[in-house]
Amino acid sequence: MKNYLLKWWQTIKVTWVKHTAYRLNFFLQIIGPGLVFFFIKYQLWHAIYQGNTDIIIGNFNLEQMIQYHVWGFLISLIAQANGSWNLSEDIRMGRISSYLIYPFQFHEYHTASFISFQMIQFFIASFTLLMIVFANLAPLPNIYSLLSGTLFTFYIGLFWFVLQYLVGILAFWLEETWIIRVIISIVSYFLSGAIIPLDLYPTWLTSVLDYTPFPYLTYYPIQIFMERSVNLSVGYLVISLWMIILMLLIKLVWSRGIKMYTAAGM
Amino acid sequence: MKNLLSRAKHYLSVYKKFVSTSTQVQASFRTSFILLICMDLFFYVSTLASVSFIFDHVTTIGPWEREQLMFFISYMLVIDSVHMMVFSHNFWQLSLYIRKGDLDFILLKPISSIFSCFFREFRTPAMISSPVAVTLLIYYGTSLNISYIDWFLMPFYIVLSLTLLVVIEFILSTAMFWMVEGTGINFLRMQFQQLARWPHFIFSDFVRKILTTIVPVLLIGSGPVQFMFEKSRFELLLMMGIAIIILIQVLRILWRIALNHYESASS
Repeated sequence: MKNYLLKWWQTIKVTWVKHTAYRLNFFLQIIGPGLVFFFIKYQLWHAIYQGNTDIIIGNFNLEQMIQYHVWGFLISLIAQANGSWNLSEDIRMGRISSYLIYPFQFHEYHTASFISFQMIQFFIASFTLLMIVFANLAPLPNIYSLLSGTLFTFYIGLFWFVLQYLVGILAFWLEETWIIRVIISIVSYFLSGAIIPLDLYPTWLTSVLDYTPFPYLTYYPIQIFMERSVNLSVGYLVISLWMIILMLLIKLVWSRGIKMYTAAGM
Repeated sequence: MKNLLSRAKHYLSVYKKFVSTSTQVQASFRTSFILLICMDLFFYVSTLASVSFIFDHVTTIGPWEREQLMFFISYMLVIDSVHMMVFSHNFWQLSLYIRKGDLDFILLKPISSIFSCFFREFRTPAMISSPVAVTLLIYYGTSLNISYIDWFLMPFYIVLSLTLLVVIEFILSTAMFWMVEGTGINFLRMQFQQLARWPHFIFSDFVRKILTTIVPVLLIGSGPVQFMFEKSRFELLLMMGIAIIILIQVLRILWRIALNHYESASS
């Protein structure tokens, strides 16, 4: 057991070093897009409200709208899993052959990498939160909202990892899995309330979205951090159900894919 | 003049080869081909719907009404689709060429290395999705009664916008020569595209000044569209022209320095 845990710890350490080796690249690739996305939304909403703090648009005044996007940015930092990039490359280049004989399995390696990545992102998000509070962009929520929101965001991170893992192992069949990843991110950005709050969407669309995991990826965690009433158990239930479905699909795809795997890139 | 024409003819024939080889490669991966079209269409829908949902709650954003902003967004979607078709893939390839040393083979060829690096890969699926963007532009343009002269000049506006965008991106890409892992530069490049997708007036005075003069990304869409709405804003097109001329000179110098700095990884 001790040896097994050591493998996990060593993988986490190695991945940490890999992620932080090219720091500028890491910043541009992981933090930069979210930062610019937030900056644009900050500017856009200021232009829409024209500095008038009395106007209410979809249950939000200007201050609350900015806070909504601040929390959206922090959630994207923690929940953003980046695993399938290397994962699909490992399959396409035939690098998974070694995992098939090592006493540390392919999914274990990538889960350890994911944990490592989450740890880095948590540090960055915590530092960013301090900066945000210091800059008076958003108030620090009460301890219950902060903890339950952070926990739920980590759970969403896990959901993203499972989803990205599924997309990554489609590389057994597909030459380029990045296209599916981009499609998923476009759709989820749009339907999760990451671009604009779901309160601004037509009612028919939001009632349909309640049956999907999308609102729980961004909109609901933001509501928790903003201390608005949210039924957390429904959030956990919906995400868990979707995660079970995705895990079953991973099992199916892996078992089929590995049969046709030829280690072509070696 | 004759020399210039024969050079253009030569480059055109090389580009034809680039397009045909890229098309052949992509046609052999049919699922990716279809998925790329879907990706573009999802992007169009999410971009336009987000703006439309905002306009369900407000009457104007800055000085513009719904149709004006939708026209601007459609214009930028056309720029995006042409960019996706002609340039996008080349930027991702450049970081690989540099890292793996494959750039050696490009530098050996008797054509401009800038042309060879940035025009080599052609993304055929965007040829199918771009007519959708053009249709949207025509739809919103018609509802705004865009003048005949502007419709006639539209290809010129698009070429002008696209040239400014790609020259800025070419300049950014030269930074890859100094980085071991240059993928991050592509993400930076995409952030400049993100900024260009919004009209200049949403930004504060200070940001707008920087993004229209030092790094003139806000001129890409706002320049021609603002000119179509207000003919008195000719200075925006003039600024674009000046920016392109200056940036091309900067690119030529930077590219030369970058190539001198290049150490072939494979050798």
